[in-house]
Formats: sequence, C-alpha cells, structure tokens
Amino acid sequence: MRDSALLIVGHGSTVNPDSSAPTLAHAAEIRRRKIFAQVDCAFWKEEPSLRDSLSIFRDAREVYVVPNFISEGYFTQTVIPRELELNGSLTKRENGQVWKYCEPVGSHPMMTELLLQRASEIGRDVDLAPTSLLIVAHGTDLNENSAVAAKREVERIRALGKYAEVLNVYMEEAPRVSDWRTLTKSQNVIVVPFFISDGLHSYEDIPELLGIEKRGDVFGEPYKIDNRLLFYAPSIGTDPRFADIIVAQVENFRT
Amino acid sequence: MEQLLAAALSKGACNFGQIAVRKGFVLTHVDDVDLAQPETFRSPEDAIALAGFDDAGKYRPLKTAPNLRHGWRMELVDLGEVVRALDYFYPARLSILREWKEDRLETTPLRATLDRQSGMYRVAASISDEQIHEVVADVCRSDGGCLRRILWRRDASGTIPSTKLPPEKFEVPNEPLPLLCQEGCTILINECRKKVKAE
Repeated sequence: MRDSALLIVGHGSTVNPDSSAPTLAHAAEIRRRKIFAQVDCAFWKEEPSLRDSLSIFRDAREVYVVPNFISEGYFTQTVIPRELELNGSLTKRENGQVWKYCEPVGSHPMMTELLLQRASEIGRDVDLAPTSLLIVAHGTDLNENSAVAAKREVERIRALGKYAEVLNVYMEEAPRVSDWRTLTKSQNVIVVPFFISDGLHSYEDIPELLGIEKRGDVFGEPYKIDNRLLFYAPSIGTDPRFADIIVAQVENFRT
Repeated sequence: MEQLLAAALSKGACNFGQIAVRKGFVLTHVDDVDLAQPETFRSPEDAIALAGFDDAGKYRPLKTAPNLRHGWRMELVDLGEVVRALDYFYPARLSILREWKEDRLETTPLRATLDRQSGMYRVAASISDEQIHEVVADVCRSDGGCLRRILWRRDASGTIPSTKLPPEKFEVPNEPLPLLCQEGCTILINECRKKVKAE
C-alpha cells in the first residue's frame, strides 16, 4: 500500500465542530504510521470537500476511498460516488489513475470487537454477568441503514453470551433510550452510542434520555441512578482504534 | 506542494489568506507578525483547533472565512510540516493553487454543481439567475463571507455569478499564494436551497 493513497470520507458539519474531529484524528494517526504514500480526508459538509479531493489526489496512482460512516446508505451509495465521480467499486480515470471504493468502516467485522473493548473499558471491568449492554443508534434515518448495522452488532455480541442482556435502543423510536430502566433488568448498565462522532446527541440528548443530570464531560464516572450503576461511553467512532478498522477496510478490498 | 511553497517564499515572507508564512517555518495571523507574547504551537495538528474557532470561540464552518483567530504563533521544523499546517488552516487550497499554476485546474459552473444535487438539495437547482446574483454576493463576499477568488462561472455561458461583487473577486490576484475557488461549496449550495425554499 506504500504506493497508494488513502482518502477517508466523513460527513462533517457546519454547526458541530466535533463532527469531523475523529476523522481528522484517524487520518493523522494513519499518516503517522507511513502505510500509505498520501493520507487525506474529505467531507460532505466541511473542507476539504469531496470535490476538492479530485485535485488533492491528482498525482496519486491509486486511491483507496474509505467512508468513515457507520453503515451503507444514502451517503455511501449516492453522494460519495456522485461527488467523486466513481462508477462502482473500481473506477479508472482517463489519466490511468484507479480509485478503489471500500466499504464503510462500520461494516467491518472488527467493529464487534471494538464495541466489546469499549464497553469493557467504560465499564471498568465490572462483572458482566449482572450487566446489560445497550447500543444506541438514531433509528429514524430512513436513508441510512445505521439501525440495521446496530442490530447486527447487538446480535453478534449477544451470541457471545458475555452480558446478561445486549439490546438495541434508539433515540427517536422504540425501544427508546429513555426506557432503559424497564428495558433492562441488570444491576449494571453500559451504554455505547453507535455513532461516528460525538456531538449534541452524545453530549446532551442521550444523557438527558438516560436521566444523567451532569452536562459537559459526561463520559467519566459511573452514574448511580435508581440504585443501579450506569456507565456511559463516548461515541464509538471517537475510539483511536477506529484507525485500525479504516486500514482493515483497505486490506479487505485488496483480498 | 513543498516546491510551490518554497517558490512562494523565495523572496521572503508571504501571506496565504490571513496567515503570514515566514522564513524559518513560522506561521502567524497576518495581524500578529509583531505580536509580543503569542501562544506558541509546535505541531501541525494544532492547526486543526486554531482553524476551528474564531476570536470569540465560535465554530468556523468555512475555513476561508475572514475570521481566523488571533494570538498564536506556530513554529514548525520543515516545509512538510508547514504544508500540513496550511492544509488544516485552508484545506485543499494549496492543491487547488498548484493545479491552477500547472494550468490543469478544472472549474465547475454553479449550475452544474446545483444540477448534480440530490435529496434535500435537489430543489436548489430551481434557483433563478437573479437569486444566484443575490446569494453569491452575500455568501462569497470577501468582507465577512469568504476570502477565495471565484474561478467558477454561473453556467456554461461563462457569465460571472454576481455583479454585486467587485470584478477582481473573479480574477486571480498577482500574489504568490492566492486562495482560489474552483467550485461552489456546500455552504453556498445550502444558501441557494434556502433562497428557493423561502420564495
């Protein structure tokens, strides 16, 4: 891959500065590893734009495009291919350049292991037998399959039999985050948002739905609510190990 | 890219947007070249946070907006780090400039950009020429909007998108490192959509 370039595509935001931060951090980490000749990001709602990347990578022989998205959906299937002028998973340009369109990060099987690691770390190695794990997704995005991806992860983790319960919850549809007290029966509850970045949802909306009164740095200490211990993690996409999965998606394309 | 920068610096310091690029791999805000006690940063990645917020701490969704934060100084070790920092301050602008200098920059008329949109932005394509004239003048103006010089045209006819902006807004200035715009950005597309929806 040393002769190849890597483009990591994020959604970005014109209002939330945290939206692009993980994507930029993962790119910096992968750049530091010197695996690729060039590593850059592009965003739908920020700079550099997807269109800018046509110029950014003009001299690259081969460009791997990895969407830093939780699932396949409108952005990975419509917006990114259109803006980057991709026709399928392999696009040959007139100048001989080849663009290879990889699957989104959230689709990689390593995601399950990362969710488990994240839950274990935020849960501070609490006994898992009396513990419920909740994976939070949006739920109402008709164009996105993020709920499908979240369900797949929950089924995989549940099949491991490590936790008393492993459940999907959603912000805007049942089963709802706000019903966690009745949805779970365990003494300990670990909550992991299945999002690419932190933002209002993870800093404010979900804590409020969970009954956490603290604002700001909401991800540290466990919360004692109704005589149960609640552990709340940052969005999974902020985990530095996401960089490994981005590289793994490139390797996945090559095999 | 480093060659481009080295050439620009061959006659000494030069500006890139609101950044003064000085010999010795030092960057500051153009207003802060002689600032006595700036906050000093030494990693190109520090530019992400510096570029992210204005003097009031407000998020800067458009990095080429004329509201770069003051009070900092970046001391880097080589041209490679300078390029990386500048790419965080003004993402892709060096790549675009290099393509322009090599006479291979492709520009996209605004109507082609609008016609390509889908989903919630599809409606933006129905914007009138008169509305484009207003929206571009507001969003892209150098005083308060965006510092880039606009190289794209309104449509295939080659008409400039707004005569409300001075003619030089659509020309490449005779500077070593101009900020150039090859295609309407997401903020402009969004404003076009809002204009159509408001009618």
